[in-house]
Amino acid sequence: MTSEEVIEKIQSMVGDDIQKGETHLGDAVVFVAPDALQKVAKALKEDADLRFEYLSDIRGVDYLDQDREPRFEAVYELHSFEHNHSVRVRVGLEEENPSVPTVSDLWKGALYPERELFDMFGFDVPGHPDLRRIIMPDEWEGNPLRRDYPLTIEDVAFSHNREYKSELVKPKPPTR
Amino acid sequence: MSVTEQGLLEREKDTMTLNMGPSHPSTHGVFRIIMEMDGEVVLSAQPEIGFLHTGIEKTSENKRYVHVIPMTDRLDYLAPPMNNLAFCLTTEKLLGCEIPDRAQTLRVIMCELARIGSHLVWLATHALDIGAMTVFLYCWREREMILDLNEEISGVRMMTSYIRVGGVMKDATPEWLEKVQKFVNYLPAKIDEYELLLTNNPIWLDRTQGVGAMTREEAINWSLSGPALRASGVDFDFRKKRPYSGYDNFEFDVPVGKNGDVYDRYLLRVEEMRQSRRIVEQALKNLPGGPCNVEDNKISLPKRDTLHTSMEALIHHFKLVSEGVNVPKGETYVPVEGPRGEVGFYIVSDGTSVPYRVKLRAPSFMAIPGMCKMMDGSFVADVVAIIGSIDIVMGEVDR
Repeated sequence: MTSEEVIEKIQSMVGDDIQKGETHLGDAVVFVAPDALQKVAKALKEDADLRFEYLSDIRGVDYLDQDREPRFEAVYELHSFEHNHSVRVRVGLEEENPSVPTVSDLWKGALYPERELFDMFGFDVPGHPDLRRIIMPDEWEGNPLRRDYPLTIEDVAFSHNREYKSELVKPKPPTR
Repeated sequence: MSVTEQGLLEREKDTMTLNMGPSHPSTHGVFRIIMEMDGEVVLSAQPEIGFLHTGIEKTSENKRYVHVIPMTDRLDYLAPPMNNLAFCLTTEKLLGCEIPDRAQTLRVIMCELARIGSHLVWLATHALDIGAMTVFLYCWREREMILDLNEEISGVRMMTSYIRVGGVMKDATPEWLEKVQKFVNYLPAKIDEYELLLTNNPIWLDRTQGVGAMTREEAINWSLSGPALRASGVDFDFRKKRPYSGYDNFEFDVPVGKNGDVYDRYLLRVEEMRQSRRIVEQALKNLPGGPCNVEDNKISLPKRDTLHTSMEALIHHFKLVSEGVNVPKGETYVPVEGPRGEVGFYIVSDGTSVPYRVKLRAPSFMAIPGMCKMMDGSFVADVVAIIGSIDIVMGEVDR
């Protein structure tokens, strides 16, 4: 199916649960609210004409600098090997307590990228069986891929300088 | 220390926890697995990653598009052109530019040479892990030739950064193409030699057949990709199904496995080397003429000799070097078929010359949970074979 047909089919199936469906640069893109994600994902996977059996990737995006509402986004890329088409599911998440339900019961491949969302962006993923940091150390503070996390300044873990005061070099959170 | 002092008699569970790594020769990087063992059988394997985290995605958000390309080399360091290509194709899709035929064919040559090189390293280390030393040395010998070819065309042996937004770094010389042709003629006999050493070798068969098997449904569900997915019987290759860079002009077969075990993955990758060789051979035969960069000087640098005579070229040069390419607002993803599977960058652009968000879809990262699933119920010696057969590269796992 072409991207337009995929969007049409999805709209006819779960039109009430999606916020918007469009093609962007030739890719099929669906906007979904976090509450409806699991229902839409199940429909996408199990429908015979769509058959999105393969989860390619999950990414987080922080739109802090673009003044967009909502601030965060979790983006799912799905493929169908049977019909050779793809869809991108974009889930907007609120700035306060961003939380997106797990899809790891549908696609086991989601286990790791969802942990990465938790680690790098601080998203809560309710329903995930093993939600803990994956790339950063367990005791790490902050979520490195958020846009308000500074790039170069790093808190010193320990110092031989007795007069060292950690407050002096601590990064100041940038103002929005 | 006596047995009672060690507390061995008071142990509650009958199983043992075995640590492997982070710095273990068979993990090909820094990767740790904690295994729960019952005798010699692995009950469960818990991976730990992140030791090689370099923050490339975060760094990319603060660099211009052209400066991100050398960093993509360091992700999958065994096949850098694939990462360059994935990044450039995505950027070019946002820019909406058409790449000249010669550049596309040169890209294909570099990518397929890289695929052969990557598979050679995989075969070398995989065979060494299982205990076949000779194959290791043979494969390294052939890979050295590919590195020499890389050096001649791009100046660097491994991190080539040869593929750029809007084309390639520079045109290939006739001498270089002749050397590639020589290598292409030389390779088939060598691949036969590796197969002679392994394919029907009873020790190799014992160690690989039926080990780490995964069914078609499991492989899809656990998001395996590339050779590991095809070995389980999924006929899906992005080069065939969604051709990019003119792959539809080449004749090649996509090998598909049946059992999805370590042996099938071995056979499949060896066959892929032959097919890649076929593609390079055809590309050399039908290499089109013409420019190897887009004409638009807002995307690719103007020719060097025009800088002294044309004011416009000088302005373009200055703007490109100081400011870079301004990429229109939008977000997209273009998957390419790397040696380990689906590689692609999800790029969000905010209309400036610095990407807003860069996310790599790393096949090795996505394969790790599935790989540990394969280890359940296998012997501890098979763990090494399974890791080798998935061919993980920690550079792209930890990013």
